[in-house]
Amino acid sequence: MSKLIYNRRRFLGTAAATGAALASPFYLRRAAAQSGGEVNIWTYNDFVPAAFKEQFEAETGIKVNIRLVDDQGKQFNLLAAEQPIPTVDIMTVAGHRFLQFIDSDLLAPLDTDRLTNWGNINPTFSESDWSTINGNKWGAPILSGMEVLSYNTEVVSEEEAQTWDTLFSDKYSGQTAYIIQDMMSIIMLKMGYDGNMVEYMDDPDKAAQIVEEAKQFLIEKKPLVRKYYEGGAEFQQMMVNQDIVLGHSWNGPAAALINDGFPLAMSIPREGSYGFVYTYNIANNAPNADNAYTFLDAILASPEIGAAMTKASGFISTYKDASQYLSDLEKKSTSFPEEQLANLQFFRAEANEMKYGLVDPAVEAIKAA
Amino acid sequence: MNDRPELFRGNRIFLSCIYWAFVLYVFVPLILMILMGFKDSKFIGFPIRSWTLDWYKGVFDNTEVLSTFGYSIAIAVLSTLISVIVGTWIAVLLEGRKFLGRSVMFGMTVLPALVPGIISAIAFRIYARYLGIEPGMGAIVWAHAVHNVPFVVLVVMARLSTLPKSQIEAARDLGADPLVSFIRITLPYLVPAILGASIFCLLLSFDDFVRSFFLGGYEPTLPVLIFAKLRSGMSPEINAIATVALILTAAIGIWAERFTRRMNKES
Amino acid sequence: MPCPAARGAGGQTHAKESCMTDHSHPSSKAVATVATDRTFWGRLAAWGPYHTLMRLATASPRRQFLILAAFPVLWVLTQHLGPMLQMLRVSLLDAYPVAPGVEQHFTLDNYARFFGDSIFWMPFFRTLAFAAVFTFCTLIITYPVAYFLARHVSRKNQMLFLLLLLIPFWVGEIVRTYAIMILLGNTGAVNLVLKWVGLIDRPIPFMYTSFSMGVGIVYLTALYMLLPLYSALEKLPQSMNEAAADLGAGAWTRFWRVSLPLTIEGISSGCTLVFLISTGFYATPVLLGGPSTTVFAETIAGFFHVAGDEWPTGAAFATIMFMAALVITATFQKLMNALRKGESK
Repeated sequence: MSKLIYNRRRFLGTAAATGAALASPFYLRRAAAQSGGEVNIWTYNDFVPAAFKEQFEAETGIKVNIRLVDDQGKQFNLLAAEQPIPTVDIMTVAGHRFLQFIDSDLLAPLDTDRLTNWGNINPTFSESDWSTINGNKWGAPILSGMEVLSYNTEVVSEEEAQTWDTLFSDKYSGQTAYIIQDMMSIIMLKMGYDGNMVEYMDDPDKAAQIVEEAKQFLIEKKPLVRKYYEGGAEFQQMMVNQDIVLGHSWNGPAAALINDGFPLAMSIPREGSYGFVYTYNIANNAPNADNAYTFLDAILASPEIGAAMTKASGFISTYKDASQYLSDLEKKSTSFPEEQLANLQFFRAEANEMKYGLVDPAVEAIKAA
Repeated sequence: MNDRPELFRGNRIFLSCIYWAFVLYVFVPLILMILMGFKDSKFIGFPIRSWTLDWYKGVFDNTEVLSTFGYSIAIAVLSTLISVIVGTWIAVLLEGRKFLGRSVMFGMTVLPALVPGIISAIAFRIYARYLGIEPGMGAIVWAHAVHNVPFVVLVVMARLSTLPKSQIEAARDLGADPLVSFIRITLPYLVPAILGASIFCLLLSFDDFVRSFFLGGYEPTLPVLIFAKLRSGMSPEINAIATVALILTAAIGIWAERFTRRMNKES
Repeated sequence: MPCPAARGAGGQTHAKESCMTDHSHPSSKAVATVATDRTFWGRLAAWGPYHTLMRLATASPRRQFLILAAFPVLWVLTQHLGPMLQMLRVSLLDAYPVAPGVEQHFTLDNYARFFGDSIFWMPFFRTLAFAAVFTFCTLIITYPVAYFLARHVSRKNQMLFLLLLLIPFWVGEIVRTYAIMILLGNTGAVNLVLKWVGLIDRPIPFMYTSFSMGVGIVYLTALYMLLPLYSALEKLPQSMNEAAADLGAGAWTRFWRVSLPLTIEGISSGCTLVFLISTGFYATPVLLGGPSTTVFAETIAGFFHVAGDEWPTGAAFATIMFMAALVITATFQKLMNALRKGESK
């Protein structure tokens, strides 16, 4: 009872504080920005750790304005609508989506010489084949994701999860889900082709034939699938509700379920899979480019910050030694056996225009079938 | 109100069953939502193994959520005021009048309601830049107001079409000028429709994600915040936020109702 | 023009003074002393400058109309048409948005893409069919509710009962949609209850079907149907039903011949609202629908989200959807108007 009273008192206190917060409008609070200027960031929920943000603001006097976004397409649309005078300095784009932003002149090349902490990034990510385009670096890698097969360990065995075929087996009919766009790349890989389509850049006919083959496969398997989903939250909910027992997913959402104690496990099946990397990018014509570099250098400073991002998102940190700051369960949900990692390759953007020119209509056709 | 209850008793029982079934239909998901806010896990859903108050506490500890709520309410109220004034005006122009281009005018009036959300958001964003409107609260209010006008027009026109012409004519015969007869006769008759339309507008604005996202600045509205949080999973936190927002809106609604009633009594 | 304005506005009792003040064109001070017991509107109407202004404004029906129409026309042209024309322009371009300096060309290819590829027709017609079916379902479900509220609940409690129904609508679409997943999922509330009662051993897969989608959409649209229906039914005089009953009409006949025809206008505006809103639904079908329930809004959004650089195609498809919705709504309204006229004869 006394606890309840305490809570109520605290509630009243908070309510009063809220009233005060409501009474001073945002633009007034914004106008009181600190002397160091500001930096404007578009990013996902929890990608900038709150503790880091506070410390950065206190030390540099630069006010950090964060605008939460929920997908890449919206960032692209918003930025495209704002150009040539964007309101943003730093965006969060996945490595294989760079090209689209670069082609539309939305990103500025990253001058890594201005980042003293660039060396803190694991070279697997900072020097990878996808990261250099037109001779420039375009983003600072922060988190790494991959396409995995996630399964309910109470129903599906570890053995079964070693192949993508299980996802299309009659045994789990009506209990599977996947993102079609991503699945198209994986199916091409599974059929022995290059899912990035870089190999077929000079042979559009071959590319079209491969996409057609993958499309026919997914149409044939359509009666078995429960749901074509789009967002990680949907996948998690389907698992929790036991509407599905296995499915393709990104490792981040799956790791979050594992860390919450749900009987889930992930694998990179032997046919292989794709990985991608979230990067912080500087917008072309960024209004506070200098502050943006200060921010990037600060956030790359310590593996502890990388670990904090991993804890919040479930994606794997790109920072060297970040894993030493993780709990055992968190380590488990963000690491894979070496032999499975050997099956992984990164998405590449070079052939994207051709690839998505073929894949997007195929996806529509699968949905319509 | 019914002098002869025996005549309609059968109907009455049948209909009240339907009513309460409907209440059940709309409230069960709501109750589930409130309940899930107490789940001690990062994901909503059954079974609930242990319970916690932390999610609800977190909402009050986090001033961001509450100020976001205030921001959304302010936007909803301002945009509704504009929509209602403009919408009623257009409805008065359109209803019961024959003029050249009336159907064109009607078509253009309902336009914003017909455009899919994402398209209208981007169209508004581009057009805002063309007009020189900065992204932020003003831009969101503007977009919501424009988008909601058609709903006001439709509702007000429906009510207006049943206004007995004789009343207006009587007022005119007695010498009332058009403005006075509008304010003294038409407007009071329209009050229920205007209230209903206001509820629509408030709801549409309060629940809008896509326009708020594209036209907003760095301060999120409540749906924008929820969408961003949803990306890292549908956690009980979101349910707690939605529940608290619901209780606060209900409180404001009741207060507003009392307030208007008192005002009416005084005048 | 004998003593205009003030009489109607101020009420009969003040007619005499109004006429006097009006004829003598007094100073405003004089009006104030005479008019202390008059209502605000009476005073306003008798106030010299206002009076002159009104007379100028309403000198001819034409002028009166122009003054009434000026603002709405201006608003609709600049605010409603502006963004749409922008969209129309984008739908006719070969590339948008483009980097500064790149040339754009006008083309009809984006429209041709829709008509040239049958895979887009399916979601298109499905959306229209879904919208029509769900509108009808919403009507069937909410009509008795509105009828009960308007006819069988005492006036004192009506507002309370109505407000009760409005509460859930203050929760955002997404949160409510997830609540429906918790309701209908394999471990959802409904399956748990059925299992507990012993009706089933294995959960029934409600989710990701047209059924779950329908439950979600009706949940979102019910309000937009309920309010117009309620306001139409509320005006219906009780005496009409009683008269019909006296003449020996049964419950069904009374409904069919009395209540329904008199509420056509409410049905019409409710259906129009719900239909329009349901053609634009995006999140709910995406979250609650199955692999074979893709709606056109998803297709359109796909051009903006996934591909990112296909705005013109997305804009063209949106234009097509919107033309179709416009035509259907207009036809429906015409039909309803005809029905209403037919009944009143």
